[in-house]
Amino acid sequence: MERNQMRRQLALMRQSFFDQGFLDEQFIQLEELQDDANPNFVEEVVTLYYRDSSRLILNIDQALERNPLDFNKLDNYMHQFKGSSTSIGAKKVKAECTQFREYCKAGNSEGCMRTFQQLKKEYAILKRKLEAFFQQARQAGPLETACRSRN
Amino acid sequence: MGMSGGSAAGNDKSEGQRFSCKSKLTALVVDNGGVCRATQTALLRSYGVETEAVETGEAAVELIASGATFSLIIIEMLLPFMNGPETAKQSRAMGAQSKILGITAFFDERDQQEFLAAGADNFIEKPLSPEFVIPIIRELDN
Repeated sequence: MERNQMRRQLALMRQSFFDQGFLDEQFIQLEELQDDANPNFVEEVVTLYYRDSSRLILNIDQALERNPLDFNKLDNYMHQFKGSSTSIGAKKVKAECTQFREYCKAGNSEGCMRTFQQLKKEYAILKRKLEAFFQQARQAGPLETACRSRN
Repeated sequence: MGMSGGSAAGNDKSEGQRFSCKSKLTALVVDNGGVCRATQTALLRSYGVETEAVETGEAAVELIASGATFSLIIIEMLLPFMNGPETAKQSRAMGAQSKILGITAFFDERDQQEFLAAGADNFIEKPLSPEFVIPIIRELDN
């Protein structure tokens, strides 16, 4: 596929992430930090996010199997999860984290479990979208102009 | 990739140039989350602030005890073992005169009170944004 066409598709894909509420302004902040010295910054941070948060998801899954639930522990896990989700601009995931925490505070086990299933769903959807995006970005190649000047 | 097409509010760009501090400023990021450390460090460095990052309150306190000084210290609320406010308290007890910013995933007024009582100057919810950090850097720069 012609490179310009690929880049146009990539731009449309990217815009859809914001239009459909998957990503927020924080993702743009990450893009602003990408430059010649850190040409893959966004992908590296997103990869780190999925690596670190997969461990958190495992911990939360295990914690949700206990009876009774340790809401304090769950709250702590979710605090970290929300922090990193916020840091990459994962808007829908962040919203589920907030909802989960409300159920934790209310001591609502069912609410926690239900919300966590939804959270994992949003997390997986975003992961697939971002993986496809970065793969296409690699194929399209770098733009001629850098994101920003360091002068 | 290199596409930025969105808004860049707070970046204070003029003619495509990014805001950068004039003096030598240093910062310490204290956060047990790798993504948070990476993004906060990158943001501060992009403004010319020499930034280090550690995972725990204990590591931060050790650094300060060894004589390291920082213009700005950003501390996550929920650190394992020594929490954010305790880290701020011990830093102040050692004479640290840095601007201390408490930061958290979920804003809570009680956490804010605890952090401020421990010696922090501000307390905000993540993410660390240019809108918030640029004025702080400008203040430190002057």
